[in-house]
Amino acid sequence: METNCNKMEDSDEFMELYIQDGVLLNSAPATYMNCINTTGTLLITEYLNSNKTRYIEWKPNDVTIDSDVQDQEWAVVNTVKGRNRTFSGSLPPESSNRSKYIKINFKDIKSFRVARSSHKLTFYDGKSDPICTFTFLHCNCDSFVGCLKSFMRTALAKRDKHLFIVLDDYLDTPETNRLDKSFAELDLFQEQPSDLMWRFVKNFQNKPYETTMEAFSKLTDIGRKNYSPTNEPSVSGNLENSMLSVYRGPEHRYMDDEVNELLNRSLEGVDYSLSTQYEYVPKLPERKEPPRGTPLTIEQWKTLQDNEGRIEDVEPIKAIIFRGGIDPALRKEVWKYLLDYYPWNSTHEERSKIIEKKKAEYYTMKRQWSTMSQIQEDNFSDFRERKSLIEKDVRRTDRTLDYFSGDNNPNLEVLYDILMTYAMYNFDLGYVQGMSDLLSPILNLEDNEVDAFWCFVGFMNKVSLNFDIDQAGMKEQLQHLHTLLEFLQPELANYLDHHDSGNMFFCFRWVLVWFKRELSQEDTTRLWEVLWTGVPCHNFHLLVCIAILETEKDALVGNNYGFTEILRHVNDLSGNLNVDAMICRAEGMYYQIREAEHLTNNIRSILGLPLVNGTTDTNDSKEASPLTSTDVSNDLQSCSLEAIGDEEVQCDRAINLSYL
Amino acid sequence: MATRKKVLLKVIILGESGVGKTSLMNQYVNRKFSNQYKATIGADFLTKEVQVDDRIVTMQIWDTAGQERFQSLGVAFYRGADCCVLVFDVTAPNTFKSLDSWRDEFLVQAAPQDPENFPFVVLGNKVDLEPRAISTKRAQQWCQSKNNIPYFETSAKEALNVEQAFQSIARNALSQQNHTVDLYSELPEPISLTKTAPRNNGDSCAC
Repeated sequence: METNCNKMEDSDEFMELYIQDGVLLNSAPATYMNCINTTGTLLITEYLNSNKTRYIEWKPNDVTIDSDVQDQEWAVVNTVKGRNRTFSGSLPPESSNRSKYIKINFKDIKSFRVARSSHKLTFYDGKSDPICTFTFLHCNCDSFVGCLKSFMRTALAKRDKHLFIVLDDYLDTPETNRLDKSFAELDLFQEQPSDLMWRFVKNFQNKPYETTMEAFSKLTDIGRKNYSPTNEPSVSGNLENSMLSVYRGPEHRYMDDEVNELLNRSLEGVDYSLSTQYEYVPKLPERKEPPRGTPLTIEQWKTLQDNEGRIEDVEPIKAIIFRGGIDPALRKEVWKYLLDYYPWNSTHEERSKIIEKKKAEYYTMKRQWSTMSQIQEDNFSDFRERKSLIEKDVRRTDRTLDYFSGDNNPNLEVLYDILMTYAMYNFDLGYVQGMSDLLSPILNLEDNEVDAFWCFVGFMNKVSLNFDIDQAGMKEQLQHLHTLLEFLQPELANYLDHHDSGNMFFCFRWVLVWFKRELSQEDTTRLWEVLWTGVPCHNFHLLVCIAILETEKDALVGNNYGFTEILRHVNDLSGNLNVDAMICRAEGMYYQIREAEHLTNNIRSILGLPLVNGTTDTNDSKEASPLTSTDVSNDLQSCSLEAIGDEEVQCDRAINLSYL
Repeated sequence: MATRKKVLLKVIILGESGVGKTSLMNQYVNRKFSNQYKATIGADFLTKEVQVDDRIVTMQIWDTAGQERFQSLGVAFYRGADCCVLVFDVTAPNTFKSLDSWRDEFLVQAAPQDPENFPFVVLGNKVDLEPRAISTKRAQQWCQSKNNIPYFETSAKEALNVEQAFQSIARNALSQQNHTVDLYSELPEPISLTKTAPRNNGDSCAC
């Protein structure tokens, strides 16, 4: 009757049903104060006493969390560490360490909540305060929760799509053991049944079709092996039934129902349809997509400057540019303002001085590398590395454009010189692939080495986070993209999560070079000047991403695309995007978000909207705070965001003006 | 014997920026060469049906950005690889020197079940160009020292040896799939018949 690992009636022997490394403890009862903000391992354990009590356990690594944590997340984002092994031992002996362990009996868990794009998991015991909150640093907690749900029956809370209520005393019932046992008796795998069961469930979640077929093929094999004339031949035409009935244990038990139930249970944690997880999705306001307008004209531009050439009221200009771009004849001039080369409020005279000064500055920096001797270069590996990368990329930047085509094209030399000089201007950043893509349209338009350089500097100041050595800026933007998608298109976000694409990697190229690889040069410049205005909000380019994804939703979901197909589909959109439609839709989304009743501070902070304090924003306001935030940093954050808030009001005003 | 299912071989091409990863992939799959390939951003892949002995298999060839800082992205694409192709430029010594770290990094990130026997293939590309910086011998020695990695010298531009190299890649990838022990089966570990490669001194070390 007992499974083989249940030899001992005493308590300390246990089996690990699930192990997850890299789990940060965010909150816990006061006893564990010292462990808060440390990382550790989260386990689901089953003690091999007669009751088979199951626990959630957490033990610290004794490594304090620091700001590098994000790196790990990126590096191992796909390695869901679901190591399932059994081991006959016990936790380290009673010691000071032991007191740091957190152990929650399954029976005490009344509900749990999954938040922050499935990275945060909070357990509640039915009282007001949570028992513990954990953040999964290496991956999301879907797999862990899936495992948890295979041991307890849960239901989604009606009014909170992230809250799972533990339903009944389903835990630790003999039924559970019996199911384990029925699989053990099949003796398919000669392993611990729980171990096996969960691996099956986990594979099932990742690759339902393959796993099912594999399992059935095993049954088939076993059926064949065990078939002999003495076995009752099956009368059922159903393959599964016949296979199962061919192999019947000594007690001639009918396992069909039990296997069915196990499969059903495993399915509880898995979403196949799009909307099962989202029983209640708060409605977004109706989408309003204001039409695109006409480009900023030379006449408008002139009337907005005073006699000495100053532009005092910048917002109306930005609003016009946002709505319709810039007349091509005016671009060369206006880009210098948008890219912070010329200050908006500078006079003609001041600008001529700036030009002189910046020119001298540029050539000084250019001489720093162009006069380097061979010996200097030989002794300067960082420099050589940058130089070699730039050489390689200049040769393959937009060579199909007239401006850069042909052998010995002098514009390529200018492209090279600007990138080399930028590497001296910002040596720490140096040269990163993608930069030549950002410079090419600017040089093409400005057609002047010094002007193009300083405009490029302005652009880089806006996007330098894209090129971080640790890619932190890209990681953050992709995370923000997912958060926004969850808000605007929860079904699609959910679909991507369950198709290995919740990390949004397939949008990497879009974000890194602002759609440069997806659009023609003309469309790229039109989109960029819109994005450079900073209207109507921060991270508007992420809304543009979502606008595209929304258009492609039917294709992605309808075809049931997985990780590779999603990437293929998204890469193949290159050359087939309508830039005006993208901007319109993204703007419509912005209004929807801004007016949504369930708008969270997390979303507000991504878009640079003013945060709402205190009572009106309940659950999610907490989630907006950074991982290691303190009250002080929160205060600072809200201060800076209030400042942004003012800008925001101005932007709105400007947009309204542009309607008129 | 179970019926043969359709086989998908996942191949990852790695190597420094500008060694010709995209060009090799395109030459093999589309039989085309262009001077106008842009630097790869993010990741992309192409697929091709190939015959290996009497089997038709689909190769899915993954191309990722070569600059070091984008490697953290590549990791997402390494999963489930059946073969890893390491490419260097025979005219650029630093691209050869970095093979070690590309190989190590791949093994760490992809974490194959049997890292010792995971199939790699090394391609020394751009043999059409002069001057040559890495000799055939030197490259071969490195490959031998890494458990006898097959080595091919190729030119994506002139379609030299590309077909043969990818045939070998497909064959190695297929053997990897056949060796991969099914999670639920009880097959014994495959026994490696290759002799331990002779340790070589000096020459292959990156100076």
